[in-house]
Amino acid sequence: MSATATHDELHHDHHDPGFVRKYIFSTDHKMIGLQYGITAGLFLLFGFFLMIAMRWSIAFPHEPLPGWIAMFFPDGWEARWLQDGKLTGDAYNMFGAMHGTIMVFLGVVPLGFGAFGNYVTPLQIGAPDMAFPRLNMMSYWIYLAGGLVMCASFFMESGAAKSGWTNYSPLAGIADGQIVNQWLAGQTQWLIGLVLLITSSLLGSVNFITTIINLRARGLTWMRMPFFVWAMLVTGFLLLLAFPPLEAAGIMQLMDRVAGSSFFMPSGLYTSAEGLMEISGGGSPLLFQHLFWFLGHPEVYVLLLPAIACVAEIIPANTRKPLWGYKAMVYGVLVLGFLSFIVWAHHMYMTGMGPVVSTFFQTTTVLISIPSVILLTSLIISLWQGSIRFTPAMIWACAFLPMFGIGGLTGLPLAFNLVGLHLHDTYYVIGHFHYVVAPGILFGLFAGVYHWYPKITGRFMSRFLSHLHFWPSLICMNLIFFPMLTQGMAGFHRRWYNGGDSYLATDPESANVFGRTVAEHIDLNIVMSYAAWAMALAQVPFLINLVWSKLAGRKVESDNPWNATTLEWATPTPPGHGNFTTEPVVYRGPYEYSRPDHDEDFLPQWTEPKKPAEKPEESPAAH
Amino acid sequence: MEIPYVVNPRKDTGLFNSKIAIWLFLASEVMLFGGLFSGYVFLRIGADYPWPERTLPVLPGLINTFILIASSVTVVFAWAALKMRKWRQFQIFMGITVACALIFMVFKGVEYGVKFKHQALRMNDFTMVEGHIGYVKAKGGDDHADDHADDHGEEHGDDHAADYARDVHGEKIEANQHVFAAESVAFNLARYHKPWAEDLIAEAAREGVEVKLAETLDFNAGEGGEEPVFEAGTVLSMDLLDDLADAYADNLTRNATWRKRYLRKAWDIKWEDVEENNLLGEASFAADFPKALELESDERKKAYTRWKAGMRARMAQDVTIDEVKLSSGSKPVTIDDESYASRELPAPGSAKFTCSKPLVLRQKSHDVITDYKADNSTISLRDGTSLAGAYKPSPMDFHDVDGIDFQHLAMDAEKRNLDPEITIENSWLVKNNPVVADLWTMHKDAIAQLEQNLIDHYGYRKGKDGKPLEDAAGNPVAKRVPTEKDRYRMGWQEIAYYMDLLDKHEGEGVPKIDLPKDANAAPKVTMTPKEHFMGPDYGTRSFPHLTIPRSEVLLDAKFTPKWNSYYAIYFTITGLHGLHVIGGAIVLAYYLFFGRSMYLSNPEWLANRVEVGGLFWHFVDLVWIFAFPIFYLM
Amino acid sequence: MADSPEEIKKSIKTYLLVGAILFAGTVATVLVATVPALDIGGHGFDHWDMWLGLAIATTKASFVAAVFMHLNHEKAWVYWLFGMGLFFGAAMVFLIFLAKGDPIHYDRFEDGGVSAAVMSE
Repeated sequence: MSATATHDELHHDHHDPGFVRKYIFSTDHKMIGLQYGITAGLFLLFGFFLMIAMRWSIAFPHEPLPGWIAMFFPDGWEARWLQDGKLTGDAYNMFGAMHGTIMVFLGVVPLGFGAFGNYVTPLQIGAPDMAFPRLNMMSYWIYLAGGLVMCASFFMESGAAKSGWTNYSPLAGIADGQIVNQWLAGQTQWLIGLVLLITSSLLGSVNFITTIINLRARGLTWMRMPFFVWAMLVTGFLLLLAFPPLEAAGIMQLMDRVAGSSFFMPSGLYTSAEGLMEISGGGSPLLFQHLFWFLGHPEVYVLLLPAIACVAEIIPANTRKPLWGYKAMVYGVLVLGFLSFIVWAHHMYMTGMGPVVSTFFQTTTVLISIPSVILLTSLIISLWQGSIRFTPAMIWACAFLPMFGIGGLTGLPLAFNLVGLHLHDTYYVIGHFHYVVAPGILFGLFAGVYHWYPKITGRFMSRFLSHLHFWPSLICMNLIFFPMLTQGMAGFHRRWYNGGDSYLATDPESANVFGRTVAEHIDLNIVMSYAAWAMALAQVPFLINLVWSKLAGRKVESDNPWNATTLEWATPTPPGHGNFTTEPVVYRGPYEYSRPDHDEDFLPQWTEPKKPAEKPEESPAAH
Repeated sequence: MEIPYVVNPRKDTGLFNSKIAIWLFLASEVMLFGGLFSGYVFLRIGADYPWPERTLPVLPGLINTFILIASSVTVVFAWAALKMRKWRQFQIFMGITVACALIFMVFKGVEYGVKFKHQALRMNDFTMVEGHIGYVKAKGGDDHADDHADDHGEEHGDDHAADYARDVHGEKIEANQHVFAAESVAFNLARYHKPWAEDLIAEAAREGVEVKLAETLDFNAGEGGEEPVFEAGTVLSMDLLDDLADAYADNLTRNATWRKRYLRKAWDIKWEDVEENNLLGEASFAADFPKALELESDERKKAYTRWKAGMRARMAQDVTIDEVKLSSGSKPVTIDDESYASRELPAPGSAKFTCSKPLVLRQKSHDVITDYKADNSTISLRDGTSLAGAYKPSPMDFHDVDGIDFQHLAMDAEKRNLDPEITIENSWLVKNNPVVADLWTMHKDAIAQLEQNLIDHYGYRKGKDGKPLEDAAGNPVAKRVPTEKDRYRMGWQEIAYYMDLLDKHEGEGVPKIDLPKDANAAPKVTMTPKEHFMGPDYGTRSFPHLTIPRSEVLLDAKFTPKWNSYYAIYFTITGLHGLHVIGGAIVLAYYLFFGRSMYLSNPEWLANRVEVGGLFWHFVDLVWIFAFPIFYLM
Repeated sequence: MADSPEEIKKSIKTYLLVGAILFAGTVATVLVATVPALDIGGHGFDHWDMWLGLAIATTKASFVAAVFMHLNHEKAWVYWLFGMGLFFGAAMVFLIFLAKGDPIHYDRFEDGGVSAAVMSE
């Protein structure tokens, strides 16, 4: 239409846009998706490395870090933070806080939502790009800036943030108080980084939701949308509505730090470093926790939904049968999104909430397991009686199901107030949510990488290397996280920097009951640590696979190598700028596999029906 | 393919892309400001101090409200003009809108500026004093402020520049700082704050004080090393500090590297010992813990596990950098036949300098870690610098006190079951300052009259049965009573009113207050229009002068977020709102100045964008509609 | 949406009227807060003044939203999207205050100063 044709912003350059425009400041959702993916992958590696160093301190608290870990630290930095080559408590806290922050905010969310969401969503809805390509580019760059600001603080005098990824006040309010210029304190930089990351997520979610609502291809009605897109839509809303309260909290905490206010600082705060703090007081530490967890819980689903979304695409394509309970899953994910906003205070059972509120949040928390179970069960039933092709993507997807299952089920006890009091802040909690995030979500995302790699590069990933990646990872994951559940029930606190060593008595009989419990479970630390280091080795085949397959992998023979049905497989391989060569039209639901009335075992959404009865139900105005 | 629905709405949703986006964005803004406003309510109902209600001057806020409303109307008109394809009209209305935004921000800036200059003080007994702090005079003592001069009005002309002491940057010095006569200064070499060190050096140069390194710092372990040596008596300079810090960091790094190597070697030796002698085996266990053999096998296993875990901790005690304790006796750790001790380089963490005569230094209260005591002879600064010498009295000098507030004190007294009025009379301020004592006497008098006026006008409360209600003590309950703020706070209008009376009746004792018999009468002066914006006119009004010793100071702050959580949330919400105003104005100004070509090519597109920008603008207005009454009127 | 030129011309008057209402509402809210004779409830600020002030503000806000932001005749999608923000915002505020108001706080820690000191130890 002439209206759009005149605006240069919308002109897609059909000539070569040049290296910088194409690879760096690109507005193409696919390139931005890849940028997100690579950046997030690097951050994941960095966060994982921090954990590798921490695991040494937990397993062998008295021995200096071995050369293969210590070689990554600059000498001067090591002198400052690693006493005699061992992690100090401060350094451990720093690594712990930054491990959590990096994995959640800089790693998994950008990988799931930023990378997969960006690359796949517009393709699956038949759109030429995101609704606002330049906004999309901005979200990436703001994300990168936020991440770099946070990580740069490792090299400041104060070191990076040390108050845990939850950044509770007043601890986080007084941390790094010895720094005169508070803008140059790690804890402040963390907040600035966080505000940038939230801004990036907000721009991203506005873009995603608009794209999904308004840019669906002709005929792609709501109930014909792949589950992936539904999940992205819900994720978008979670980011959109849950992040701003944390932004508010972040700004208030920033004021506490740089303007000396007392939003989250109680009256009469006394520290060993400064005596009676020179603050007005009168603030509320609990307010921060409320605002933080109002984001914190939906954030869990922001992490989870993209992974489930990938698995939900991979399973039908590899079982050659429709996704079981597609509608139930869609409604399930909507309910999940809704409920995730009103469960947050189950993170705060220990804060002295009254019985009414505790009961309310306990109830909603138990309720939210229903949609989660619907999603997982539908995926498991989808496997039933399928003729499963164990492609690399499919083995990861299959492993996702039980792993996420363990993660979910171990969460149930934590929903209950009384049990929560015992397990609060123990390794049980760590084990639980790592089962969700690491072998659960990351496996789902790995599956996604193996699944869409042929579309992105035009080549398959090596099957051999993928098995070499998968089996050790699966075993190590369980060796790392299962013992945590045991230790947690024995009362191991999640923030011991020496793994509980201080509770050991040299005489086996002199220890008190807790000391004896610790002694009986402390050797698990060593098992877990070796598993964690082996896990790092297991990622090497994956990294090799990523690079090697791009250069020398087997080439795909068609644009639809998995014989899948959704729209991203209708594009050329790799998809060019603007994605589709002709305007796609959708004629049917997303998972039409093994239809008895069709010769092949798949019927893509875009294949024109032979019978005239199957015309698109809806034809929006041509533009 | 091109991105569709940029200008024209999609049929089934009825919306073009950016309209969906702006409403999504506004939904997230609702959550953002929802979080902030719930923070406000949370802080207010949870406040453990008297919330300052109705404390801001209303007029600037009112005018700003008018301005924002007007701009909301004009931005709709601008959009309507575009829809009707009247470019000229669009320009006019959009121009007014952007101008309104600018005026709004100017008013905001004036409001903020007044607060940044206004000093507040919380005393140890929770008396609050507000006013303007004096400047340190050049002669006649370090800490005495001028009575008459005026920091907020250079225009008065009685500001004789030469009378004031100036800091090394040429600024006048506020009389609210900690003063210290330093005989020696020790810098923390890891984290001394450069600007402070620079100021100290400049101050020393100005005062002719020589600051020299107290003792030789030799960064070599023995003789003839390559590390730098700093001779005692070297004059302090930034370069010297830099070099010291570098030398310290170098040696720290070198030592750490060696320590790590020695420790690793020590562990290697220990583990060899463990393996050779099977120290973690069952046999050692049995030898160490013979009772275990009598235990059931299950119990013995557990005991063994515990013993083994404990053994590892014990092994750690055997391993040090210098020597390893082995089962067969101690063993020194050497690398290339050298022990660690022979390699260790000195790495002193601080460098001490002595001053040829006491150097007077001033620091803001926040920068000083040490709590004030008159006989303190050392003082630690936030950056780890340690000063030795004499802590000077460091009082706070208010030359215009325009607020004395006993609300917090009264609240604290009631909490402790004390009579608030007696507690106020016993407060440091009333006891030690005759003017404040007079003011308080007059205020009590005035409030008693106000209370009577209210009873006369509104009468007593009645129960359902028509009989007068009685409180626990059997007294009738008045329908309206003075608020806590009326009772215990003297704002500037009250103080000016009382001071005026005092001046008129000088030498006649405390004048009697005679409020009109009117329920609405209050002991206040009437504000002039300028005073509505800028606060009291210190040229014509008279205010008391107070000197508060440092030992009575609990918290001093300007009227900034630091002062209390009301100002914190006020600045945060209005500041964030101000950023929204600026952002919105930039977008709207962009359409105004650069929209012409878009208008010529496709006016509908520009109209859409203005509509979207306008939606944002209305939302900014919406936030203000709530912020104004909440902060100014409640 | 009333966006044909003729309809817009008609609604100009409405916009002016709403502008006038907003001005009047602002004046009213200031008068009831500052003129003692118009003070409702007790003397000085109390919860009556708060509710009155918020009621006036809400009324003003509704006019802006309904007329200036065209929420009186919008597409269903807009109501859903913006409504979600309002709903979850309200849910957040409500639940936070429910948690704050749950009795355990007030029975145990009547004396805020002492409990704060205990907690900071």
